[in-house]
Amino acid sequence: MKKAKKTLQLTALHIFYVLLCFVGMVPVLYAFGLSLSGSGGALSSDLSLFPDNPTFENYYRIIVEEPFLLWFKNSIVLSAGTMFVAISFGVLAAYAFSRYRFKGRRTVLNLLLLLNAFPQILSMFALFRLFKNMGLLNSKPGLIFIYAGSMCIFSIWNLKGYFDTIPVEIEEASKIDGASDFKMLVKIIMPLAMPAIIVTSVMVLIFVWNEYLFATTFMLSENSYTLAGGLYQLQADDYSRSWPLFSAAAIMVSLPILVIFFCIQKYMVSGLTAGGVKG
Amino acid sequence: MKKRKNLILWMQSMPAMVLIGVIIIFPVLYTGYISLTNMNLYHWFDFEVIGLSNYARALTKVDSGFLSALFTTILWTVFNMVIQVSAAFFIALGLNTEGLKIGRIYKTLLMFPWAMPSYISILLWRVGIFNTEFGLINKILVSLGFDKVNFLSKNVPAFLSCMVLNLWMALPFMIMTIDGALQSIDKSSYESTELEGAGFWAKHFYITIPALRVVVAPAVIMTTFTTFKQFDIIYLLTMQKGALSGASLQTIITYAHQNAFVSNNYGLSSAVSIIIFGIIILFSLWTNRGVKED
Repeated sequence: MKKAKKTLQLTALHIFYVLLCFVGMVPVLYAFGLSLSGSGGALSSDLSLFPDNPTFENYYRIIVEEPFLLWFKNSIVLSAGTMFVAISFGVLAAYAFSRYRFKGRRTVLNLLLLLNAFPQILSMFALFRLFKNMGLLNSKPGLIFIYAGSMCIFSIWNLKGYFDTIPVEIEEASKIDGASDFKMLVKIIMPLAMPAIIVTSVMVLIFVWNEYLFATTFMLSENSYTLAGGLYQLQADDYSRSWPLFSAAAIMVSLPILVIFFCIQKYMVSGLTAGGVKG
Repeated sequence: MKKRKNLILWMQSMPAMVLIGVIIIFPVLYTGYISLTNMNLYHWFDFEVIGLSNYARALTKVDSGFLSALFTTILWTVFNMVIQVSAAFFIALGLNTEGLKIGRIYKTLLMFPWAMPSYISILLWRVGIFNTEFGLINKILVSLGFDKVNFLSKNVPAFLSCMVLNLWMALPFMIMTIDGALQSIDKSSYESTELEGAGFWAKHFYITIPALRVVVAPAVIMTTFTTFKQFDIIYLLTMQKGALSGASLQTIITYAHQNAFVSNNYGLSSAVSIIIFGIIILFSLWTNRGVKED
């Protein structure tokens, strides 16, 4: 009887999640279907999600006719650089905020949160003037510092929340073994905090991958655009005419992120702390 | 010993603090300074301090719509956050049900909206879902024999359309955050309540939600700010340059953008930015009230 109830419950859950996943993916599926259709595909009135005669023509055109691969490379460089800066700075600061008790600690943390609330779009003008004077316009390190700075407070808070859940006993044990503070952070705390570090990194990556406003303002030539910046310009020119083309580009831009998501899913299981204390 | 600890503390947080100082704090201070000047297209280099008149100008100008924009923004934030957090909680809870073997696959699929670059999602929704000619909803309506609906031409449907899109885009992050937090809860803490015969609601009200609060609170606060500051959805959906949809929906940030950036009046632009920042500070003091850290 109890088993039957459980089965029924699980079936209901499965139906719910299948529907939810479908709703979540319809716009993407529709765009995918369009990207495989010829140029007239957007105007057809039938309801099917996929075209009758699928073709990769749009994908071919976007790669060959636009500097797509160059934008892709720029996106990779900027994402990797930003992830490195934001996470390494973030881990160091978050650990200090999590472990050391000092006067004004809470004030600083809350002040950071408050500062993070200043709309990024409104600080663009000030940063543009600053970077212009410093000669950092059109430079990748310049943009990396903007992105890393924008994500730094977020990673500090996110990582600190996780460090707080790691028991101090683990550190005390390693201190008795004679490990230095820095060594302990790298060798013991960081592996334990890997789920949080990975989740935070992915969020940084997504932020950089999706950012188009700063990318098009601070990068002055089309060749130094990121994928997001490049595609934004592409649609700003005239996207309704080349709607299937834009869909193809949209699918290709999203694909690497989807792959990364799938790869890191196992790290989301964060039973690591429990294991560290018990084992 | 104490001195050494302090030194380590400063060394560890210094890189992050310098970076934040340049990228976050400097623009705020500079914007505050510019808000007191008459910098605009005609006074690009020879601008001078003119006191608070930009603020006066902004606040008398906003008479025409600032309060309604503020009201829209508050409505927008509250609706989105309440629906988002409660929906994400139940979705994440369901994903962690014992025996749901392919939960991982669902999770991956549910990430789709988040993995999509947000501006691309917005444009895909604008044309692929809401559009009267190509939009999926209208195609469905027509095939069912209904009239076409222009979702973005009037304020209320446009607001709801923006909200649906925002939920679609923002839910995955919230689900993932709550899901991560759920998995960090020690499973054994449920055992005693289960022995006492606590039901579904009691179990989650007394154990899950208190345990989630510390880990999830920062994410919820940050999402609230993101929602409050949401610009892309409303801008790209209803007021893209040369593609106005007809709705005159304004939140305070699109209002600031329209009133300041389009007219290239940087002094006024900065004053409006500082006013928005002031509102955000008050708002965040209010949201921080209930969050206990430590």
